Amino acid sequence: MKNSVHVLVFSGILAMVCAILLYAVTQFTEPLRKINEETDKDRNFLSALGVPIPKNVKPRELLNIFEKNVKIKKIGKITIYEYIPETSKSGKPIAIAVPFSGPGFWAPIKGVLAFEPDLLTIRGIRFYQQEETPGLGGEIASKWFQDEFKGKKIVSKNGEPGFRIVKSGGKSKKANDTNAVDAITGATRTSERVERMLDKVAKELYKERKNYVR
Amino acid sequence: MSDSAVGLATGSGTTKPNKKKYLETFLGGVYNTNPVTVQVLGICIFLAVTIRVQNAIVMGLALIVVLTGTNLFVSLLRAYIPRRIRMIVEVAIIATFVIILDQLLRAYYWEMSKQLGPYVALIITNCIVMGRAEAFAMQNPPLISMVDGAANGIGYLWILVAVSLVRELIGSGTILGYTILSTSWYERNILFLLAPGAFITGGLLIWVINAINLSTNKEDAK
Repeated sequence: MKNSVHVLVFSGILAMVCAILLYAVTQFTEPLRKINEETDKDRNFLSALGVPIPKNVKPRELLNIFEKNVKIKKIGKITIYEYIPETSKSGKPIAIAVPFSGPGFWAPIKGVLAFEPDLLTIRGIRFYQQEETPGLGGEIASKWFQDEFKGKKIVSKNGEPGFRIVKSGGKSKKANDTNAVDAITGATRTSERVERMLDKVAKELYKERKNYVR
Repeated sequence: MSDSAVGLATGSGTTKPNKKKYLETFLGGVYNTNPVTVQVLGICIFLAVTIRVQNAIVMGLALIVVLTGTNLFVSLLRAYIPRRIRMIVEVAIIATFVIILDQLLRAYYWEMSKQLGPYVALIITNCIVMGRAEAFAMQNPPLISMVDGAANGIGYLWILVAVSLVRELIGSGTILGYTILSTSWYERNILFLLAPGAFITGGLLIWVINAINLSTNKEDAK
């Protein structure tokens, strides 16, 4: 009996202490975590758009650069981020970013596609949230994979909207179409899922593109 | 392997540990009773992080911190923890400690926490953390428990780095992200990025270390 009381009292106190500690720490760190997550997203948007970012920039300065150079707009259901340089006189965007997201192999993937002002040609791509297997699916975050997208389009040679990630199958059969890139070897699942989300954003964007007024 | 070597019967904690005991504890964690090569613990994370040298280093360092911390807290509370529920209590302490650490990293060391990514939660389930709390910290005073934790963390770190060097080189042709074997003539061996690669490399490493131990033991006997 005495033993059971000890067990109950001890576990009760331990649970209370752990709960209070966890609550206190999460509450205390929340604003800082928010800023970090926010700047990380903004940094990826800026980098995809090709906005120059100084090295070792502080979070607040980065948010400032973002606010000064990027204008958020809506065309249809899609939110777009226009890069209009601070110094620009014409006020015309020189690049446009469109975010996308979807399920990955392990956890949700979030990324951003940057386009030329024609909203057809891809300027860059970044994945700012992904937890794919390092070395395999995690390669979506690497430079060689993202470099593949530069200059690609969201329409095929025949004018069909969409996007493909293809298995190249040997050196002769590269991803030749205007709207296709090579998949990652050993990461078929991740490649498929990324293809699905890019295909979706490509088709939606192609539809809304007519309504886009510069 | 005797019980005392794995720290199962290392004193009741009433006697004060001397210098020799500290050294033994330290060497035990780092080599003699290494968590991976001798006890074969923490293999789940070992499979996951040894794909890249960088991940291995970050995970090894994180585990040193977690092991030292949880061993300290378990050791401090060891006189009050009811024996019947000691394992649940150990897990609660470990989980709380790891989550707090994760939150602090996200707030103050964003880059590092991004690298650790999904692995942080995995630390909670690492058998080494639980194993050291159960086998060592429950029976020993705080200071030597911290030494034991740190030593096992270091023991884990060097094994992770050793295996990841092989896996990253053969699997990706790089070391720490720098290309060593160019893809122009080297065909990457994907097998080494998958779990079998870790079992093969880890198994060979355990074999080599056991062979070395065996031969030195024989020499000692002579």
